[in-house]
Amino acid sequence: MLARSAMRPMRAFASARNGAVQISKRAASSSSGSTAESPLRLNIAAAAATTVAAGSIAWYYHLYGPNAHAMTPAEEGLHPTKYPWVHNQWFKSFDHQALRRGFQVYREVCASCHSLSRVPYRTLVGSILTVDEAKALAEENEYDTEPNDQGEIEKRPGKLSDYLPSPYPNDEAARFANNGALPPDLSLMVKARHGGCDYIFNLLTGYPDEPPAGAQVGAGLNFNPYFPGTGIAMARVLFDGVVEYEDETPATTSQMAKDVTEFLNWAAEPEMDDRKRMGMKVLVITSVLFAMSVWVKRYKWAWLKSRKIVYDPPKTGNGKTRL
Amino acid sequence: MGFWDTVTDLLEAATPWAVAEAEAPVAQESTEEVTAETTKEETETTEAAAEEPAAEEEAEEEEEDEEEEEDEEEELVDPKETLEEECRNSKQCAPAKHHFDECVERVTGAADGAAKEDCVEEFFHLAHCATACAAPKLWSVLK
Repeated sequence: MLARSAMRPMRAFASARNGAVQISKRAASSSSGSTAESPLRLNIAAAAATTVAAGSIAWYYHLYGPNAHAMTPAEEGLHPTKYPWVHNQWFKSFDHQALRRGFQVYREVCASCHSLSRVPYRTLVGSILTVDEAKALAEENEYDTEPNDQGEIEKRPGKLSDYLPSPYPNDEAARFANNGALPPDLSLMVKARHGGCDYIFNLLTGYPDEPPAGAQVGAGLNFNPYFPGTGIAMARVLFDGVVEYEDETPATTSQMAKDVTEFLNWAAEPEMDDRKRMGMKVLVITSVLFAMSVWVKRYKWAWLKSRKIVYDPPKTGNGKTRL
Repeated sequence: MGFWDTVTDLLEAATPWAVAEAEAPVAQESTEEVTAETTKEETETTEAAAEEPAAEEEAEEEEEDEEEEEDEEEELVDPKETLEEECRNSKQCAPAKHHFDECVERVTGAADGAAKEDCVEEFFHLAHCATACAAPKLWSVLK
């Protein structure tokens, strides 16, 4: 039994070989093309087709496959490292103590060059400062009044409805004061830059002690790996202990950078806390309504879905069913 | 980041033995710093022991750096700097650091103006490795 089963494949193979020989003989003797192709030709055809396919793929990859890197990594800038920001989580709000610290950092460090022109004092109330603090802060600055009876515009102390003052009257003055470089407005900076909070934090803390060997740094520029082109006009501004926090948090560079970044995120999207709470409400209410609607549908359709259609054949006299 | 953190947060808040603290106690921070430093020293010593004899020079440099850091302990020390320095010397970033050091040697060793390259790319790789390694540790230290 075993021997016979072992012989069978050999016999099949031998017959196939015989058949191949016969077919090839017949193909050679007669010119009819409609007969079955020989395995040799089939193999050659398959190999050729595979070669053509693989070759065309390789040729296509050669033409279009590899990316053409037109920019060097230095021109692209180092991609910001991701940090586990707590306020970016789904159900977390801003840390308002951190916002308060960050606002202090902005006021004492950043505000000498960067404006925050889209933030009025009133938005600070309740989220960062108390009403009295915000009013006192607003009154430190002077704003234009409406024209008086003689058409002259006088100055008045600021009110809560005024916007935070800009360090320079216009962009040209800002450029002139900063060696031709314009310090951008920071109101929407977290939204405006690729990488958001991570980019700003990395940029503020990423100044190396000295640029790496061989790096070209232009005149009046500083080396920062995270800035595209690596030459940034802003020098490092955050040093340990530049700011003295009122809650006695140790004012290290990274702590200040983290706080001011969170504050700038608040400035860019002050609605975030409310937005997340509203989103939660929407999700809860719609899911409850959806569950209720499913239940009502099943309740209303119950009579239809639970009906049973029965064919009850009439009985004939002799006991057989009539078809 | 997000969903499961929230679920675990909710669970922790709902458990009867949960303790709500408005802010972390002040005394805890100093102990945390101390523990972080001790663990760092331990890791460094173990690394120094585990590394090949070729890396002995680096280990010596690390010790010098440590002494300097200890001198500055009375002032503020940025945890980012120390953590990233630690990461830069760790095994994880050893390839990047090796390439960077080699590049610096090559460029500074060349005659003036003869070096036709810079070490920006190597610096990027090292910085990326170090910051990525230090990021979660840094966030656990910062407030």
